[in-house]
Amino acid sequence: MVDKETQKGYFRFILYFLFSNFYFLNGMSQTSEIKKGAAIKKDGDIYVVTDSQHVNPGKGSAFVRAKMKSLSSGKALEITYKVGENVDIVDVQFQSMQFLYKSGELFAFMNMKNYEQVELGADLIGGETKYLKDNLEVIVGMYQDRPISIQLPKKVAYKVVEAPPAVRGDSSAGNVTKEATMENGLKVQVPIFIKEGEEILVNTDTGEYSARA
Amino acid sequence: MKWQDLKANPRLRRIYDERIKIIRLTREFFWRAGFLETDTPVVVRLPGQEPYLSPIPAYFHEPAGTEHKFYLHTSPEFSMKKLLAAGYSKIFQITKCFRDYESFGGAHNPEFAMIEWYRAPGTFLEIMGDTERLFKFIARKLNIKMLEHKNYSIPLGGKWERKTMKQIWKKFIGVNLDDCLIAEAMQKLCEKLGYEIQGAYEDLFYKIFLNKIEPHLGIKKPIFIYDYPAQMCSLSRPAKDPRYAERFELYIGGLELANAFGELTDAESQKNNLEEDRKKRKQLGCEVYDVDGNFIDAIKSGIQPAGGIALGIDRMIMLFTGARDINEVIFQSASDMSR
Repeated sequence: MVDKETQKGYFRFILYFLFSNFYFLNGMSQTSEIKKGAAIKKDGDIYVVTDSQHVNPGKGSAFVRAKMKSLSSGKALEITYKVGENVDIVDVQFQSMQFLYKSGELFAFMNMKNYEQVELGADLIGGETKYLKDNLEVIVGMYQDRPISIQLPKKVAYKVVEAPPAVRGDSSAGNVTKEATMENGLKVQVPIFIKEGEEILVNTDTGEYSARA
Repeated sequence: MKWQDLKANPRLRRIYDERIKIIRLTREFFWRAGFLETDTPVVVRLPGQEPYLSPIPAYFHEPAGTEHKFYLHTSPEFSMKKLLAAGYSKIFQITKCFRDYESFGGAHNPEFAMIEWYRAPGTFLEIMGDTERLFKFIARKLNIKMLEHKNYSIPLGGKWERKTMKQIWKKFIGVNLDDCLIAEAMQKLCEKLGYEIQGAYEDLFYKIFLNKIEPHLGIKKPIFIYDYPAQMCSLSRPAKDPRYAERFELYIGGLELANAFGELTDAESQKNNLEEDRKKRKQLGCEVYDVDGNFIDAIKSGIQPAGGIALGIDRMIMLFTGARDINEVIFQSASDMSR
């Protein structure tokens, strides 16, 4: 004989099992999964999330504002979801890959574990292409064997190839900077003490100098 | 930003320098306008009842160990209205407010700087005037002509726009908001717009507002949106058309800057609204605490017709400095400290 409490426990477990599976099969996910790099299925297209932000109107529940890009057309779109609203988030696999080369508008990356190679169009990478340099490790998001996004490290080290000596003129504003060119052509405002041949860390969110590497 | 950023990054250094000036100029503006700067605790026993805000608990202990549960305030509103009840008539306060479960970055930080000010007697139209003059005063002193947000440059000069919520819905959605003041009607409108969403009236309202309206607000010039549907305003007095309430928000470049009320000074309705909000908190599974009876008593004792506002200082600084994220205007933001 199973006592009442245990019976109740079984019952609860069965309920949980049924509902959790139903939820899973339904394919719908929660708004909490909307973040940079996630992909959303909508109107027969796949949208890659490029940025997401919480919005709290104060009166009323919280919302998530997602900026995304259509995989088929590259068009940008902004949608604001109520927290808890059903969103069709598709499975994206993230792999660490190295940047190999650029050919025309295509950027090639390689998975160094299995030597598989993928190519992404400049339209999908967006403004982040300027941070790519040979052998840079990035995270590539794959949807059904198709690369759909890259994520750069927060900070990347570059060798300074050009840093003209600073003109010491108007230094009244305090910190003075000068423009320097990195090994991959990236231009960054750096403190005047930075010289050619040095390595510096650049913040890939803002494109600004962070520190000496 | 961290101290390392202030040392190495001239742009962030300039932003923090401007922050210091903007806060000083804000004080100057209000003192000159005859307001008194008040000072109320950041910790309260009974915080506001807004159903979707999460106050952060703080436990205080007496030397013998007796524990008291307090909360970090989500706004100094109740405390400042108690000061109005005590007879103060023009007051302002710059303080830190705390709201849990908010983003670390973007336009939010769990700890943020707020300025609130009240006029009793006063109207929310006078508060609109104060707000516009404050921005213009700071801009003149710092020699700034444009506010920057995202890809927008918004000129500060000229008279700012003032539109009712009803006018705005007509303009962007093409509907008469009078016909959408109950949940069923708003639900139908959502369906018509292709939104598969269910929820309370304000959720449906904001689904449409945040998607179709807010991103366009205050892009050419700053805009005050006023007279909100009455059920969305627990602390405001009814407007001339009682289906709406005297509440306004300021939007610049699609960013919400401030929320203001023609203050509700009727103790009985105030108590009912707060009890309703409390019930809602319970339904939503939020932490519940009593309605602050001392606040209700203060309203009961009599407050002159009043207008009041809460304005986010960090967001204001973002606009004046063109900062891309709130983390760029806050020293040691939650994001800085948790990374």
